[in-house]
Amino acid sequence: MRTKLGFVIAVSLSAAPVLAHHGFDTEYDAAKKVKLAGVVKQVSWTNPHMRVYIDVTDASGTVTTWNMEMTSPNSVQRQGWGRNSLLPGEKVIFEGYGGKVVESRGSLARISKADAPDKPLFVQGGPEAAREGFPGQ
Amino acid sequence: MRSALVVAVTFVALSLALNAQRERTASIPTGNTPLISEADALRPVPRLPDGRVDLTGPWVGGGSNADIEREGGLKPGELPLLPWARKLLASRLEQDEPYTICLPMSVPRINPFPWKFGMSYTSHGLTHIYVLHELGDSGAHRVVHMDGRKHPPDLLPTWWGHSIGWFEGDTLVIDTVGYNDKFWFDSRGTPHTEQLHTIERWTRLNFGTMINDFTLDDPGAFSRPVQLKFTARHVRPDVDLMEFICNEDNQYGVAGGFTPAQPDR
Repeated sequence: MRTKLGFVIAVSLSAAPVLAHHGFDTEYDAAKKVKLAGVVKQVSWTNPHMRVYIDVTDASGTVTTWNMEMTSPNSVQRQGWGRNSLLPGEKVIFEGYGGKVVESRGSLARISKADAPDKPLFVQGGPEAAREGFPGQ
Repeated sequence: MRSALVVAVTFVALSLALNAQRERTASIPTGNTPLISEADALRPVPRLPDGRVDLTGPWVGGGSNADIEREGGLKPGELPLLPWARKLLASRLEQDEPYTICLPMSVPRINPFPWKFGMSYTSHGLTHIYVLHELGDSGAHRVVHMDGRKHPPDLLPTWWGHSIGWFEGDTLVIDTVGYNDKFWFDSRGTPHTEQLHTIERWTRLNFGTMINDFTLDDPGAFSRPVQLKFTARHVRPDVDLMEFICNEDNQYGVAGGFTPAQPDR
């Protein structure tokens, strides 16, 4: 998006850190940053945290279903999502942090449709901001 | 002269653009509850039709979250915990907090999601104020009796305790006893006992800001009463409480390979 004066507004991934709630460090590993492409299997609009299940196919053809945790349905709706914002079958690019024990259960940091990688549908700051809340939001 | 003018105009333009950029970047939602604008926050305190101050909200903040000592305005170590309580705090793990299995956070814990004072009028006037929190905390709402009653004797301990309230000028005072000892004051695990007695003094400074002057009095876990201070901020006008059913798909622990602790029965 450009202002009248031609400045590009950048979407920043490092949002102002919220008060640490709990959850991120207990389950996820800030060192296990992942960036993957896949196909949405299911969008789960449930509390306490929404999840997007994404099928990722590796070079050998093995499919892993990544279970990516977001914030609460309320919080995601406040980011502008509606029920049709992301649907099964859509191709996506996503970034997140893998689970400490189950790596394919991750904390979602960012997701966009594969044909619009610069227009993220969901953005969550890094581990500091991701600590907003569980089961809170 | 002309070049100086160009420089000045460019400077002003740059400042405006940078401010606009900052505001727009800051307003790109990243999951936090959107807050009221700075300008709207400074509007005067609203009043109810009977002249009483309107404390409704919804609000974000106004209590503890990760660390009651720091968030309440104290320096590290200043919270006067008794030795046994300090030891318990040190031994607690974030993952075992009752809230992770959808049990109530209670007072003064306010996580970053909206809540409101529901000022409830009947034919007898303002008889109750309900504290409604979006997270619901297992379906709970907090009841503040505003009809002048006293605390009953021999209360059975509960998650939210028994609250009575009254106004001192424009400040809402909420006095609560009868808490159980099961909830944590913050995610790091600051403990308390059933002797806990809290006094909240809520004062709305302007449209967007409300202060909670909080007295924590628990001789079972603290060597003296403590004064803390928290600040609540009003949400953006289009934001209101939404549904939250914590238990419907709680997968907490699986990614980290652990089972959250169950509370004592």
